[in-house]
Amino acid sequence: MIEILQWSTLAVCCAAALARIPSAVRGENRSLFYIFVLATLAILLSIDGPYVAIDGLLGGSNVANLILRFVLFAVIFFIGLRCVNAFGADQQRRWLLGVPGIVVFGLIAGVMVVFFTMMDSSGSSAGLVAVYERSTRNAHLVEYYGAAGRAYPAYVSLVLLPAMVKAVGSRLPVLVRAGALLLAVGGVCLTVSLLFPFFPEPWSPLKFIINYGAALCFVVGLAAFWIARVRATQLAPQKSSTAK
Amino acid sequence: MPLPAKAFQRWLHGIAPQASTADICRISGVKRTTLAQQLVRGKVAESTVVSISRAFNINPVAALATFANYSELAGSPVLPTAAELVSQIATMDLLSAVIARSAGAAGGGDDVDKPQAPPLTPAPHATSVKNWVDAIDDGELRHRVSVATGIAPQNYSAQLTANRLTPELAIATSRAAGVGLTGGLVATGMITESEAGWPSGARQAALDALSDGELAALAGERLQALGKTLKRQEQDHQQTKTIWENLG
Repeated sequence: MIEILQWSTLAVCCAAALARIPSAVRGENRSLFYIFVLATLAILLSIDGPYVAIDGLLGGSNVANLILRFVLFAVIFFIGLRCVNAFGADQQRRWLLGVPGIVVFGLIAGVMVVFFTMMDSSGSSAGLVAVYERSTRNAHLVEYYGAAGRAYPAYVSLVLLPAMVKAVGSRLPVLVRAGALLLAVGGVCLTVSLLFPFFPEPWSPLKFIINYGAALCFVVGLAAFWIARVRATQLAPQKSSTAK
Repeated sequence: MPLPAKAFQRWLHGIAPQASTADICRISGVKRTTLAQQLVRGKVAESTVVSISRAFNINPVAALATFANYSELAGSPVLPTAAELVSQIATMDLLSAVIARSAGAAGGGDDVDKPQAPPLTPAPHATSVKNWVDAIDDGELRHRVSVATGIAPQNYSAQLTANRLTPELAIATSRAAGVGLTGGLVATGMITESEAGWPSGARQAALDALSDGELAALAGERLQALGKTLKRQEQDHQQTKTIWENLG
């Protein structure tokens, strides 16, 4: 079940990235293409097999996990940037790009790197499961490291949430509102993921569902905006031709 | 409140005992799939009855009145009030009337050369539902309709803004305002003026009865509302464009 979710999320991301290539070549919103590519990379790195293979190339000390976290930060930052511009959320811009945004990012990134260097991270293991099981000290460090890694995406999605909720309730085209709703749901998932350390053991499958659910929500939500635009631009010439 | 399929079948049998469903659809222009679906669900839309009764040269109001939930439509129609009649004149027709009158005034007393305003476009127009409710609203009407039918005020407003009103609500609104019951059906475009028993030329007569001041004020109100709607549309459009420029 979890494997299916992982691979299908990867497939959706990959398909979105591939489908974006023509518009990227034309120079339309290249950053959206990069978002999809980076998201594909992030999901690839979060799946067991590819993770072990890639981390092996990087020395087998789980640096790939750290890279994965920063790739995720980049993805969520660019999504945030695009959304702030798109929805004209000027009050939120400061919390993402201004001094507060940079301070939050710097703090979280710094804390994350410190925790990573403090743990004994040898031996490739997706999700740092093996590292976690090595000792109590490592277990705690992995826990904090993971929390720091989830903090920035959660922060960005909380910043975006008001603008998304406003867009859902607006008179914009249905697909745009659906996209905003998906982004909002993805954001809520990311925020809930902050509470993972307090989840009891039997709930761990839920963690996977929330993680990949968030990723799917973001990718499908972004695709919805894009489909809305494609449909609108296809409809427009038809309208004018019937008006003749 | 759509009509029960059983009652509909009975009615249909009464007006066209020999006709098959396919014949009915062909004559009335109702899509076969639509009718089949409505029959399967057991609820037939009022518009279906209206289309079929037109095809058989039956007055749609009389046809609806044969159903239990619309029985109050039976009886001689109450004539619309002047405000209702004027509310069913399109904004552009009101503006034409303003221009025609002012041109007439500038031309002096010469009646022969007086420019005539073009004939009124038939009801309904783009904001006819909201204008109709505004015309019969004494300030408490929306509240009374909401109490009588149980519809939430914001849902009622949303229907008016979208220039829609279910037949059931249209009649409930008329009843709550104490005007003729078919006015709302005309405003929503379900039936025509003549089907509702409005005398031909009644809207033109109501328009002519307006003083220049009343007409100018009314046209001004309509124009202001139109401006607001257009501005909102432009804003929405602009916002959508920004979203697509950034996320599309």
